Amino acid sequence: MFKLVLRNLSSHPIRSGITAVSVGVALFLVCVLTSIVTTLQSGLAAASSTRLVVMSSISLFVDIPLSYQEKIARVEGIANVVKWQWFGGYYKSQDNFFGQFAVDPERMFEVYPEVKVDEETKRKFLTQRNACIVGWQLAAEFPEWQQTGKIPITGALFPHPSGQAWDFELAGVYRSEAANFDNRTMFFRWDLFEETLKAAGQDPGVGVYVMSVEPGADIESMRAQIEGLFENGPATVRCDTESEFTRQFVSMLGDIPMFLGWIGAGVLVAILLGAVNAMLMAGREQTHDIGILKALGFDDATAFGVLITQSLVLCLTGGAFGIALAYVLEQPIALAIGSAFPGFFIQSSTYIGAGVASLVVGLAAGAIPAWNALRANCVEALRAKGA
Amino acid sequence: MGIPLSYTLRSLFVRRSATLLTVLGIGATVAIFAGVLALQQGFVTMLAGGGREDIAVFLRPGATGETDSQFRRDLGLKLIKQTPEIAQGPNGPLASMECYFAALKPRMDGGSVNVPMRGVQQTTFEIRTGEIRIVEGRSFAPGTDEVIVGSKITGRIQNCRVGDVLQLNTTPFRVVGVFESDGGAASEVWGDLDRFLATLDRYGPNRVIAKLVPGTLVGDPDAEGGAEPNSLAARLKNDTEVPAKVMTEKQFLLSQTKMLGGILKNLGLALAFVMGIGAVLTAINTMLSAISSRTSEIGILLSLGYRPLPIFLAFLVESIVLCLLGGLAGCLMALPFNGIETGTMNGNTFSEVAFAFRVNSNVLASAVTFSLALGVLGGLLPALRACRMKPTEALRRQ
Repeated sequence: MFKLVLRNLSSHPIRSGITAVSVGVALFLVCVLTSIVTTLQSGLAAASSTRLVVMSSISLFVDIPLSYQEKIARVEGIANVVKWQWFGGYYKSQDNFFGQFAVDPERMFEVYPEVKVDEETKRKFLTQRNACIVGWQLAAEFPEWQQTGKIPITGALFPHPSGQAWDFELAGVYRSEAANFDNRTMFFRWDLFEETLKAAGQDPGVGVYVMSVEPGADIESMRAQIEGLFENGPATVRCDTESEFTRQFVSMLGDIPMFLGWIGAGVLVAILLGAVNAMLMAGREQTHDIGILKALGFDDATAFGVLITQSLVLCLTGGAFGIALAYVLEQPIALAIGSAFPGFFIQSSTYIGAGVASLVVGLAAGAIPAWNALRANCVEALRAKGA
Repeated sequence: MGIPLSYTLRSLFVRRSATLLTVLGIGATVAIFAGVLALQQGFVTMLAGGGREDIAVFLRPGATGETDSQFRRDLGLKLIKQTPEIAQGPNGPLASMECYFAALKPRMDGGSVNVPMRGVQQTTFEIRTGEIRIVEGRSFAPGTDEVIVGSKITGRIQNCRVGDVLQLNTTPFRVVGVFESDGGAASEVWGDLDRFLATLDRYGPNRVIAKLVPGTLVGDPDAEGGAEPNSLAARLKNDTEVPAKVMTEKQFLLSQTKMLGGILKNLGLALAFVMGIGAVLTAINTMLSAISSRTSEIGILLSLGYRPLPIFLAFLVESIVLCLLGGLAGCLMALPFNGIETGTMNGNTFSEVAFAFRVNSNVLASAVTFSLALGVLGGLLPALRACRMKPTEALRRQ
């Protein structure tokens, strides 16, 4: 019987091919859209609930004083404190968007063990004052950095006192395995940042302090204690776990993840309609054949099976094509949308979901013609014109 | 002989279930394309549509927006004093220093967002006569810890109704009024410049805005090769005492929509491209099936003396009509979204901006053009196949 299914499919090679490819393209799109949403969520899931972040109680727009670092470090249970400052510069053109941060170099590696660098990179970053490290994805976008070893960054928020760009020396590339720490950021040394600005009479503040805590520490009471330390000013702070801090960013995107979901649903409806249409055409053309089958004594279930199997073969082939396409294009897409959605990756559950979706589309599209075949009266079916 | 148009249109009707399914499928594609474009249009027209040409925005040189522009107060005053292009009002120059930041506030429906906060001087209201309309309560009294709230956020953000208190650092600010504005200000909170600066412990404003004397040439500071030589932008860029980056408000607002506007536009184009492939394939499928079930009719047309070209055009037109119907269906599906309010983070300012889907003529024209392209691409191959049939063979097929 399966032979008949394949014969029927290959009697219209163009239509079969087109239907399978359009199902594939649609499922590819669904995979990508879903992955944008799951990438955002996986950042949340991977964020540590044992790291703490201190920021101004107003928002990240407002700096907190440099002097807070020592006071926070003295709180019982704090293992290490690293300060971050958003640099807000750009490389060559404002359109090259990526984050740059001034950080405490040694502490950075201690607080974020998931950020990996090789020994040589680490040594350079810890000893050279104008050294910087960049994520591997960012390094892939600007291959010239590794050739020249130099990265000039124009300071839009902190212009260099000389009026020129800030000159950084590339120490090496970091690679983060955790989904909440993207590979598209640049880090440079706090001492260079502070001393350069101080020489010009400016007093830089700190964006956030990130703390690792000792095992078994009471996170809740530490948070209250740190917020309490500064409640009378000069700058009041909020202290959140890293996962709560990350959640802020996702919730700032507002309804965008929901819209992506709607778009995905729309895509699925569109392919379902296309597949139903193709299967209805096939069903009409095969009415005569179904009549022959039944006249030969095959039962209704076989007639049903012939049509639904055709639909399943088409849609599952298409689905496999779409999933393969998504798999192959994952890295290029990640590079292309890196500035808007860093860390893009496709979860294996998304592939499984796409497979299930193609199964469902196949069943739904084949249902009507297969049902017609099941109910078909042998004599009337034989009278129908064959294709 | 001409193109058998009525034959084309009638055959769409005869095969109505296939036509309907194709139209709906293409409609869904076009609707999604139109929906994303409507989001982009809503964002850009809301933020940049109201930008005025007679208002100049002065930033620190090198700044890309308000958030990374900050300068000393005395330099701001000096700039206002020594720029003759700034128009004079009854109380002196029509210029105002403004500070800008955002406050992380909880949303009504959960989560929190960066709400844009703007500290202004009273001259701002003189410059923006008619643009800022108090619709509830009153404006804030100068020099006090009072704020007014844009109408678009009263329903989105907690503690933003008249009588509520917004805490900033150690200072409580009381909400005394709600204002309407056609532009981005409707998603902002406004208060007194000096009170905000004191609360933040900041040394100066983020920008100066000023009404210009009519006929002032501002110039584009971001232009390749610099602004026009005799423009205000060119002069202030090289000013020895108070260098500044200056542009019209319209230019400024456009520059602030680049990131999110770009993302939405690219998202729309990428979706249109990928879904367009699917839609073209669906159209080809439908047309091929139409042609194969009408093979003998094509044979009749050919033996009646129709040349291949009119037959080619007839089927191409059929495909175009099919896809245009789909485009129409897509526009109808997208229309109910018009005016629906939403909000997201504007990457350029790192703060929340509220805006509505705007299904305007641009969006509809793009959607129709898109469906037209689908029709042409989807119809070419099947129409070519139809017109190359041999009359005798075509007639023989049952």
